[in-house]
Amino acid sequence: MASTLGNPTSLGNSAVSSPTAQAIYRRRRRGNTVLLSLSIGATIFGLAWLVLILGALLYQGFSGLSLAVFTEMTPPPGSSGGLLNAIWGSLIMTFGGVIIGTPVGILAGTYLSEYGRGNKLSTVVRFINDILLAAPSIVIGLFVYEVVVVRMGHFSAFAGMAALAILVIPVVVRTTEDMLNLVPNQLREAAAALGLPRSIMIRHVAYKAAMSGIVTGVLLAIARVSGETAPLLFTALNNQFWSADLNAPMSSLPVTIFQFALSPYPDWQKLAWTGALLITFTVLALNIVARAFLSPKAQK
Amino acid sequence: MSEHIVTRYDEELNDVARRIAEMGGMAERLVDVAVGSLMRVDTATAKTVIADDKKLDILQRECEERAIMIIARRQPMAMDLREVIGVQRIASDLERIGDLAKNIAKRVMALDGQFQSKRFNTGVEHMAQLSLAQLKDVLDAYATRDVEQAYQVWKRDEEIDAMYTSLFRELLTYMMEDPRNITFCTHLLFCAKNIERIGDHATNIAETVHYVVTGQVLAEDRPKQDESSSTAVAYEKN
Amino acid sequence: MTQTAMNTAGMAEKISIRNLKFFYGDNLALKTINLPLYEKKVTAFIGPSGCGKSTLLRVLNRMYDLYPRQHAEGEVMFDGQNVLDPNQDRNMLRARVGMVFQKPTPFPMSIYENIAFGIRLYENLSRSEMDGRVEAALTRGALWKEVKDKLNSSGLSLSGGQQQRLCIARTIAVRPEVVLLDEPCSALDPISTAKIEELIDELTTEYTIAIVTHNMQQAARVSDYTAFMYLGELIEFDETTKIFTSPSDKRTQDYITGRFG
Repeated sequence: MASTLGNPTSLGNSAVSSPTAQAIYRRRRRGNTVLLSLSIGATIFGLAWLVLILGALLYQGFSGLSLAVFTEMTPPPGSSGGLLNAIWGSLIMTFGGVIIGTPVGILAGTYLSEYGRGNKLSTVVRFINDILLAAPSIVIGLFVYEVVVVRMGHFSAFAGMAALAILVIPVVVRTTEDMLNLVPNQLREAAAALGLPRSIMIRHVAYKAAMSGIVTGVLLAIARVSGETAPLLFTALNNQFWSADLNAPMSSLPVTIFQFALSPYPDWQKLAWTGALLITFTVLALNIVARAFLSPKAQK
Repeated sequence: MSEHIVTRYDEELNDVARRIAEMGGMAERLVDVAVGSLMRVDTATAKTVIADDKKLDILQRECEERAIMIIARRQPMAMDLREVIGVQRIASDLERIGDLAKNIAKRVMALDGQFQSKRFNTGVEHMAQLSLAQLKDVLDAYATRDVEQAYQVWKRDEEIDAMYTSLFRELLTYMMEDPRNITFCTHLLFCAKNIERIGDHATNIAETVHYVVTGQVLAEDRPKQDESSSTAVAYEKN
Repeated sequence: MTQTAMNTAGMAEKISIRNLKFFYGDNLALKTINLPLYEKKVTAFIGPSGCGKSTLLRVLNRMYDLYPRQHAEGEVMFDGQNVLDPNQDRNMLRARVGMVFQKPTPFPMSIYENIAFGIRLYENLSRSEMDGRVEAALTRGALWKEVKDKLNSSGLSLSGGQQQRLCIARTIAVRPEVVLLDEPCSALDPISTAKIEELIDELTTEYTIAIVTHNMQQAARVSDYTAFMYLGELIEFDETTKIFTSPSDKRTQDYITGRFG
């Protein structure tokens, strides 16, 4: 130490100052530089596409954005109109799907985390849930088509809701279970140590502790289903007109976008871009809200 | 001094300090009574000293046990540690003082019926007063945590030492004068030595007080005036 | 087990553990434990990690029931009732035998609710009665002065030491008879620890306390009786002053003096 201080030109006689050590260190630094550049490159590549997509969406969609979009029905080709019935339909069916799917998901998640830990049933349920979570939405659309639409003999908003609910359930089950698993066991023990029955513990302690996470899960589920086209295509179909009848086909934003974007009419295409912009920003907003719920500040 | 978060700790420390005060009062009284009985060769009083010393021994044992308990259970640190160490040291000094007083009392029993002369006593009595004053001062210093007072006690011990040296010469002279004085004077000499050692214990306590309060050991050499170990009196034929 | 003659005259045994064995699956974790917990005294359990001291504590309120494949044999008599009886109502038992854990575990609700929650479970109180109970519990938990102006803020907003005192207050709010403390200070700084220790000292006027601690100095400070456990066995049980000044068993001696091989 003293010799190092006394002789500023040398690093002393520690192992680090030997020529071999210096060589190894230089090599490591070179490797580090190369890999760091590669990572930055990959990040830029990935982000660039995202920026391009959002840019195109903003450029194309923003110009079509007007009050009429929110107040008028989808027009026939060549005339002006809005997306009101599609927005309405999307809201109704997403809401319905979430209303049906969330309680089922939360209860199933609660079972998996609180009662079924380690038993066979919960292992099977968890496995099936994971498959459902990864299943292509078109498969679910076909399933509901077979089970509901064919039986009822016509397309309906109900069938759309059912399809969306089936999409919501696995997401909510998963997040509920994960969030309840994150609740420290000591909190459960502390509640039990006061003589609290398990049901009260779950309702008043575990849910409270996991609340923000579960809400986040539901928000993410909404974000996920609000952009789904495939399941609705087979179930709620579409509707050019305003409809509040849940037993009849109903319009929705994704399906309308799908239909309009593929059409040869420029004004329909324009509305498709605007619809896409609306959905994208709704999903973005939902994600931001979900993040806010999960932030440490919201946990308190 | 601010209090500990754990109040029981304070209670325990106060308790041992109170016991030291009690022991101090008892040791003072024992010395006082023992010297008094020596002056009057009063065997009845001397007996009470011997009996009371037992109480002092018990008190010392209790103090010791409590100090050990505090060390084992509270793990005292810094001033608390010095406090507890101080309690142990002072308790054992006070117990020794009690033993010395008892020794004086025992010599009173032996002196009963021996030839004696009042003129021999004055030196011892004076020395005893000085030692007692020292003891009282140092106990006050402990009670009030007064370092300066403790330091004064510590310095003043040389007076007792000097007095002992001269008393030694004096008693030696009496013995040479008349061999009948020898028994009495020898016992008296031992009593004087005991009193001188009581003074030494008072200085020990002064050192302990200094350590307890400041955390520093009194390092300088204490002035010594006890030259009896190198004193000889020439035997002259009159 | 070594035990010297102890003056136990006039001491009531609040809990008597007799021939207690405990299994994690097939693994024997406690080997025939016999031990009294004296009423309104603090009994400390010390020993190296894995010696079974926490396990023993968790038997006393049947906390182990929360987990499958754990079971106990023998007797744990608590006011004449066997705690291990399969018919024993666990929730009632736990209301009488409270427990505080290593990490502070305030519930995710307000300070007031943290206390009121447990009380509400077994008693129907008016708002003002409940206010009184909450204040009494927080005062007893040496926390009232610090939180009386923010009863509605979250229990999680308190410092670690305050959270732990909140947990103790919450435990005593339901008026248990026995309080089990499982390393209550291991996550706390020395000052918070001292406050908890002072609190434990005050609680002995009303409660029988059992404390598990890794810190044997803490055991020495807070307890009246100390049990030293090693490898699932109770090695020595005696008065704390005896254990920490002249233990009878060599293993106890080696452990408390830091000579454990």
